[in-house]
Amino acid sequence: MFEEVEKIKKAYFEDAKKVKTSDDVEKLRIKYLGRKGAVSSAFTMMEEVPNDKKPMLGKALNQLKTELENHFATLQQEFKASLNKRETIDLTLPGRKPNTGRKHPIAQVEDEIKTIFKGLGFVVEDGPEIENDFYNFEALNIPKSHPARDMQDTLYINDDIVLRTHTSPVQIRVMEKKQPPVRMIAPGRVYRRDTPDATHSPFFHQVEGLVVDKDISFADLKGVIEAFAHRMFGKDIKVRFRPSFFPFTEPSAEYDFNCVFCRGQGCRVCKQTGWIEISGAGMVHPNVFRAVGYDPEIYSGYAFGMGIDRIAMLKFDIDGIRTFFENDIRFLTQF
Amino acid sequence: MKVSYKWLKDYIDIKQSPAELADALTEAGLEVEELIPQVPYFNGVIAGKVTEVAKHPNADKLSVCKVITSQNEKAEEHQVICGAPNVAEGQYIPFAAVGATLPKGFKIKKVKIRGVTSSGMICSKEELGLESSSEGIWAFDEPTPLGTDIYPLLKDKEDYILDIAVTPNRPDCLSIIGVAREIAALTGNALHLPDINVPDEKNKSAQDLIHIAIEDASGCHRYAARIISDVTIDESPTWIQKRLEAVGLRPINNVVDITNFVLMEMGHPLHAFDMDRLKGPEINVRSSSPGDTFTTLDDKERVLPENTVMICDNTQPVAIGGIMGGQNSEVTAATRNILLESAYFKPERIAVASKKLGLTSDASQRFERGADIENIITALNRAASLLAEYAHGKVLQGVVDEYPRKHPQKKVSFRPEQVNRLLGSSFEDSFIIDTLKRLQLNYKNGVVEVPSFRVDIAQEADLVEEVARLVNYSNLPSKQYTNIQYDVETYSKEEELSFLKTKLIELGMMEIVTNSMLKNLEAKPFYDGNLVHIMNPISDDMTTMRPSLIPGMLKTLAYNINRSNNDLKIFELGRVFLNYRVKDIPEQPYRLAVVMTGNRFEENWAAPGELIDFYDIKGILESFVEKIFLDNFQFILYDASNIFSANETIALQANEKIIGYCGRLNEAVTSHFDIDVPVYGFEIDVNSMLQYMRTDRRYQPVSRYPFSERDMAIVIDRRINAGDILKLVKEEGGHLLQRVKIFDVYRGDKIPEDKQSLAIRLRFQSNERTLSDSEVDAVFTRIVNKAKQKYNAYLRK
Repeated sequence: MFEEVEKIKKAYFEDAKKVKTSDDVEKLRIKYLGRKGAVSSAFTMMEEVPNDKKPMLGKALNQLKTELENHFATLQQEFKASLNKRETIDLTLPGRKPNTGRKHPIAQVEDEIKTIFKGLGFVVEDGPEIENDFYNFEALNIPKSHPARDMQDTLYINDDIVLRTHTSPVQIRVMEKKQPPVRMIAPGRVYRRDTPDATHSPFFHQVEGLVVDKDISFADLKGVIEAFAHRMFGKDIKVRFRPSFFPFTEPSAEYDFNCVFCRGQGCRVCKQTGWIEISGAGMVHPNVFRAVGYDPEIYSGYAFGMGIDRIAMLKFDIDGIRTFFENDIRFLTQF
Repeated sequence: MKVSYKWLKDYIDIKQSPAELADALTEAGLEVEELIPQVPYFNGVIAGKVTEVAKHPNADKLSVCKVITSQNEKAEEHQVICGAPNVAEGQYIPFAAVGATLPKGFKIKKVKIRGVTSSGMICSKEELGLESSSEGIWAFDEPTPLGTDIYPLLKDKEDYILDIAVTPNRPDCLSIIGVAREIAALTGNALHLPDINVPDEKNKSAQDLIHIAIEDASGCHRYAARIISDVTIDESPTWIQKRLEAVGLRPINNVVDITNFVLMEMGHPLHAFDMDRLKGPEINVRSSSPGDTFTTLDDKERVLPENTVMICDNTQPVAIGGIMGGQNSEVTAATRNILLESAYFKPERIAVASKKLGLTSDASQRFERGADIENIITALNRAASLLAEYAHGKVLQGVVDEYPRKHPQKKVSFRPEQVNRLLGSSFEDSFIIDTLKRLQLNYKNGVVEVPSFRVDIAQEADLVEEVARLVNYSNLPSKQYTNIQYDVETYSKEEELSFLKTKLIELGMMEIVTNSMLKNLEAKPFYDGNLVHIMNPISDDMTTMRPSLIPGMLKTLAYNINRSNNDLKIFELGRVFLNYRVKDIPEQPYRLAVVMTGNRFEENWAAPGELIDFYDIKGILESFVEKIFLDNFQFILYDASNIFSANETIALQANEKIIGYCGRLNEAVTSHFDIDVPVYGFEIDVNSMLQYMRTDRRYQPVSRYPFSERDMAIVIDRRINAGDILKLVKEEGGHLLQRVKIFDVYRGDKIPEDKQSLAIRLRFQSNERTLSDSEVDAVFTRIVNKAKQKYNAYLRK
């Protein structure tokens, strides 16, 4: 008799373990605790046992009933709780995203350049985009007949006022204002009379650099450009200087970086040369110093330029400058 | 400037390969932009032998040939169809096997020609890019080992062209000898200049036939001429033609080719006149008068800018000095006698005339940068000797040379130690002096004598560069960067601009960068003052400098909407251009603008799309001014804008001055940019913002005492603005009123039709104590009474 009670108990717990769905729960209840369930049926045994054993069996059956009912109640509750949880929230649905803004890639690169130079003790300066002939050309030792002044290349507001063609006029404005030492960069927008296409934009962005003091030499220029290249693109990037010509520097140089994609090994981007042309630099021309009233016998200095858009193109492997100014939101969200 | 490697070798021994030479020149400042092999690239073309030629069964002019490309007897025979009449058994030929690539990327495939298979091609020189047209296939003169790759063989034999980007300060390098001179300085090898022997006719003198007068002595510093009689106009010799073709000039006839040859060789432009078409004996150099016209030898009649240097005979102009000759005196097939000009024109005058005429030539490019005035006679004699030899001319005795004021020998003061000062180097004086000497720059007693061809060298710094160039920039020292702390400014406007941007990005705005040049019509509605226009715009799309950021941003919206990017919240920070003035640069203040359109949030299962409205843009602006600590600001109603719609616009005031506008953009404005959805935005003047930003940012202690809240449902006339009620509440609430929030606005049938009810939650709190109910109630009642008194308001029951 008692074995029967144990058997029901064991069977119940085994079945209870297998419960998965709400149907299973209900089936479990009917099978054991229902009107015709195993427990009710077991009570029929009372009629068959001798009277002296009845109290003990009754006790055992009642114990079984209480234990199973209690267990079942807990099980049902737990099942419901877990069911609720799973049914009301699907964790795989996408979340509610707030609107997120981003800095334009050119502004990001500009920030990076500024951070590097500020770390090197440079001050960031600013100047107007529409400039007098004097600041854009004359004071920079660019004579009236110089081809850069051509109407083909420069956008004019009137005969004496132009859209600045480089950020160099900021050099002049700063030097007019203060005495050496000068250590500045000037990022900003510049304009050229280029018909826009994938690789040309009539406006783009440059950073101008200028350092003037006693005993500043070309060696300092090389050092600062190398320091910049290493911070911007990595320690393994080499810098190459080549002679060139700009009216406002003498000696003048073009400087190249190792191609940032192949690290100087030669690839499609650098046309197998391992080098990427960055921009121009040089020692400030004595005539420029004279134009702002610095004595070239006492002071020397270097100046350099770089294209922000160009560096951004290198950094992000963008092949057309136009992409920056179309401002397609699918482009902007990539940065 | 295109320079032939082979031609260079006429004047200097070069041990370097073309590629090495290109690198060396680039490192010395003559940037070789491209090294062009004269044999265009092909591959897979090997030496073969024709073993059999038979007629094509289906075509008269084609042959079916067998070609072997290996001596091995078991080697495969290639069957090839050939159309050339000169193909013959036993010929050694260049054979392009299947898979070969010919110049211009043409690939050889197996094909069927009129039913017969052809696997490969027997090439002509034309097909290999070696000549412009071929009569037939190229049969080698001598047997060539079968299977030899042809391309490398030719490549070494043929020439290389160095395409050099000569900087405008170095006109002396615009010639083969000029470049050879640089190579001599770089390598130390000797320069071999051509021997010039002019076979002067003894019995006739040029002086007797012509007389030169320079009336415009500032425009023309020297004018020399020779006369060559009895020339025969013909083709020039092949070697001259080849030289000219190599550097990109088209051969014309012996006289023209020889002047061009000397131009390319020595860099000095010459001009040949048909002597018999000149009305002699006078050659007069004078400047043009207003309204003069002249027909140049390209048959174009040109209006001459005033003050153009003109070469004239007794009756009329015959050439534009230094730019182009005239049709009236041009050398033709009938020309017999030649007047050959070699002159020097002032660079500025040529530059101005060339620009005004819109006419540049090989001559003008050199004169405007600066020719070598002392090389005039050498160039003239070189051409005369070539004309004698290759045009069978007789060179009359003597040069007629008018050189009224000889250019003095150029001398530049030079202190060798300045080299080390500017370069950071430590070269010995003797090294510096020797280095300059290699460039024919001779130093003596503090002065360097500069040869006449180096027009670029005018001061000490120029000589420093010469030393640096020859040493090679890569060999100059580089100083490790040391950060010397100067008086670095602690406040920088640039940092404030960056701060403003960051705050908008935190509010979910995307930064854009747009063109500051607009169409006039795009700009006009945005500014009442004098717009800044461009005198020589690139196109009608970019005539006017932006007076506002909004038009450029609307273009960006339209661009994105056209690509179905519909939910847009963008901002830009940049300069605008106001108030055109003749004498001074315009005002160029920075502005900051936001525009928004589309859904408030990206449509999502949890957030159905809801369109942006006025309160979104206002909310962004409110949060923004709070985040940037704008001080003493308020929003006022504004209905006088052309850009924003009258009933959905507010202005932002700081310190009682309007510094920006915010609201819904006028449909008339947006539709002009082809946008047909509502657009909201604001634009603020940046300087005013920076000026009124609170710099005192001391913290306010947070109260440790509990607060009490009271709700107030106040009924007012609909015409009364919530803003006025809020202002009143704040004023009356005093310092105990810590926060005010409108949590409902009701208009409906439970209150009179002309009324609205504002539900306002007031929070009272003190920093010093817990407030009693009676204190709070007193303030509450004071507010209600004031509202009743001022706006006839009452509490909703």
